Amino acid sequence: MKHIFWIIGLIALFFIGDRVGGYVLEQIVLKSKFRYSRLYKGEAKADILLVGNSRGLSFYQPYMEEMTGKSTFNVSYSAMPMTLAEVFVNDYFEKYGKPEQMLIDVTICDRDNPQLIAGFNAYSAFSPRVDSIVTATEKTVGYGGKFSHLFRYNGEIFQRSVFYLNKLDNNWLLDREIAQRLKDDLINVDTPSVKLVPRMVESLQRTVQYAESQGVDVKLVVSPYYKPFAEKLTNLDEMIAQVEKATNKKVYDYSRSMERSDDFGDYQHINIKGSRTYISLMQKDGIIPDKNQKIGYSH
Amino acid sequence: MVFNSLEFLAFIVVFFLLYFNLKGRFRLWLCLIASYFFYGMWDWRFLGLIAVSTVIDYQLGLKLENENNDVKRKNYLIISMMMNLGFLAVFKYFNFFADSFAVMVEGLGMVPSWNTLKIILPVGISFYTFQSMSYSIDVYKRAIPVERDFIKFATFIAFFPQLVAGPIVRASEFLPQFDREIKWNWDRFISGTGQILWGFFKKVAVADSLSLVVDNAFFDPMVHSSMQLAIGVVFYSFQIYCDFSGYSDIAIGLARIMGYDFPDNFRTPYFSKDFSEFWTRWHITLSSWLRDYLYISLGGNRGGGFGSVFFILVFMAIPIALTKSLIIIGICAALIIGTWIYMKQGEKETKTAYNYMNLMNTMLLGGLWHGASWVFVFWGFLHGSYLVVQRLIGPYFGAFMRFLRIPKFGQTGINIAIVYFFTCLAWVFFRAPDFTIAMEVINGIASFENFNWANVTNKFGIASGFILIGMLLFVEITDLKVNYAGLLQRSPAFRVVSFATILWIIAFFGTFGANAFIYFQF
Repeated sequence: MKHIFWIIGLIALFFIGDRVGGYVLEQIVLKSKFRYSRLYKGEAKADILLVGNSRGLSFYQPYMEEMTGKSTFNVSYSAMPMTLAEVFVNDYFEKYGKPEQMLIDVTICDRDNPQLIAGFNAYSAFSPRVDSIVTATEKTVGYGGKFSHLFRYNGEIFQRSVFYLNKLDNNWLLDREIAQRLKDDLINVDTPSVKLVPRMVESLQRTVQYAESQGVDVKLVVSPYYKPFAEKLTNLDEMIAQVEKATNKKVYDYSRSMERSDDFGDYQHINIKGSRTYISLMQKDGIIPDKNQKIGYSH
Repeated sequence: MVFNSLEFLAFIVVFFLLYFNLKGRFRLWLCLIASYFFYGMWDWRFLGLIAVSTVIDYQLGLKLENENNDVKRKNYLIISMMMNLGFLAVFKYFNFFADSFAVMVEGLGMVPSWNTLKIILPVGISFYTFQSMSYSIDVYKRAIPVERDFIKFATFIAFFPQLVAGPIVRASEFLPQFDREIKWNWDRFISGTGQILWGFFKKVAVADSLSLVVDNAFFDPMVHSSMQLAIGVVFYSFQIYCDFSGYSDIAIGLARIMGYDFPDNFRTPYFSKDFSEFWTRWHITLSSWLRDYLYISLGGNRGGGFGSVFFILVFMAIPIALTKSLIIIGICAALIIGTWIYMKQGEKETKTAYNYMNLMNTMLLGGLWHGASWVFVFWGFLHGSYLVVQRLIGPYFGAFMRFLRIPKFGQTGINIAIVYFFTCLAWVFFRAPDFTIAMEVINGIASFENFNWANVTNKFGIASGFILIGMLLFVEITDLKVNYAGLLQRSPAFRVVSFATILWIIAFFGTFGANAFIYFQF
């Protein structure tokens, strides 16, 4: 009989500790200044909503805000798939109403990423949409997070929220220049291509339609690639045409717009220095507003 | 089916429910059927291989027992060895030797005209064939009685907890345990569960988390900084330790709950003060197998003969034929001449030289046992060299440290650090897919280029990895004083808290993808 007691004690202790631990970690996530924590605790109200994967971090917020005079909120994350971005966009609209403008880097449609989606289980306590996309994508992770609350915080997303516990992540962008070794090695890189995932394009289509139905000025762009790399991309134009057809919107292509190698951190990402050039280019083309200029709705 | 999967959880619950409600031969049948089911979940086609190996070794065992003619007995043993080693040769080494031979033939200006076979490596083949071979050898030596009960023998060969990755359990240790009357035992359940949970911590939390950093470092070493590569190698040393010893812990724990006692397979190997000690702490059941059935058969430390020289010459000839490198030819020639001159000096020197050859042969074959690749052989060569060099200079090094008046604990620390450093160096070759990648990793670390934290990627994964390694070492070091296994039995409060803590850590740090254990490939 005494053995039954310790087994019951073990089960009880596991769940009590798990729930208490889960609550503490939930509070840490909520206290964090990481972008998604700010989104769910009501500190993300902005004029311009920025969407993308790691290339979406090129919309470098300090310069964007300085040059446009508008507040920004960036939901971009490395290797983020559009379906997950759609969740954050919908949650943003629900919580804050519509922003004036939404800027989307359409290369976000180039991949699905179930592993990353599962990592966002750390935010499932704050958003039924996050909870349902996690469970739909990785059932064991979704249900595992319900069984053990500690398990929800198992992964990089939680660790990042701890990293940004007391500091903003608005300046999250490469601060290095592309290495000479990488430049030299480009000749050995197999012909790269951008492959659209149909499900991601559908998600982009829904997001654009929804935002525009709310009266948001949506702009679709392709952020710059390191030019010699962009020249090797075989199907970029085809990809852009497909997105334009699906969304019925023009895609502003900046993929080959920047020449200087010191504006890049690697083949696919501009650095902080390059972001100023990029934002200036977008401003010159009227994609994003000048200081004090009102944002206009356009197709 | 891997231990760290939901399928296995369901399997083991059903198995235990049936196991403790059955008795006698029904229980034995259950073990056998469950073991074949467990293995069949990997690939049912290879069940035939285990079955054939089992039937033949069973029959040969009976013949070895009943036969008194020494020549015939030897022939039966040879048949058993040929069959087991033949399976290994075909399923594990055929393509390796065919490829190597093709390279040699091409080097002679000829064009080889055969293709390698598309052979899938049966999971755990090296483990169960070694187990089977040890039975035949022991019966031949009349060291153990023959097993006349086929079901017991078949269960011994296929016993699912240790079938695919050990520990390698000798017939003399395992078969008599089938005659025990086994009942549910809470003490066994407690210590078995403790060991299983600790095994899961090692595998799911430590090994699989570290693997993300390790895989990244070894995938393309050229793009990583020196520090990233160094961390990758250190993490690999703990990944392979936790992966393999985690499997052994789970296997031993499962068997203990079922009423069977398996030998330890690991005893904090990275605290070894010399390389001989390392091999009494790392993969103990394989080391002792190689010692008893290979090293001692070659002559051990008492001398040697044709076998000692033959193997070493074969292992020298192959890299010479493959690379035709003048440096390798020179090194081999120098070693042969040096050894010959040394052996000429007297009987004692001859014995010492044979001893070193036996050590080297054992480690080279041990390396080859791990995988059909020259990097594994080289890993074995490095460990063989460490053992030889240690015997040559170890006494002088110890005297040198005493001369410097380094305190005892300092000497111990230095020795542990040296053994760990050279073990890590050997792990680079064990982990790398080929020599090119291994050298890129070593050169990358040695360059000290960007040897700083700023140039390290995946900092979150690395920080978690160090935390987990810290937890592992904390428990292993304190266990030397505290004896957690004893405390688990004595204190229900400690048991509940420690089990819950391991479960929380696994939930928070674990990598859940039913990742296979590294040693399955061997």
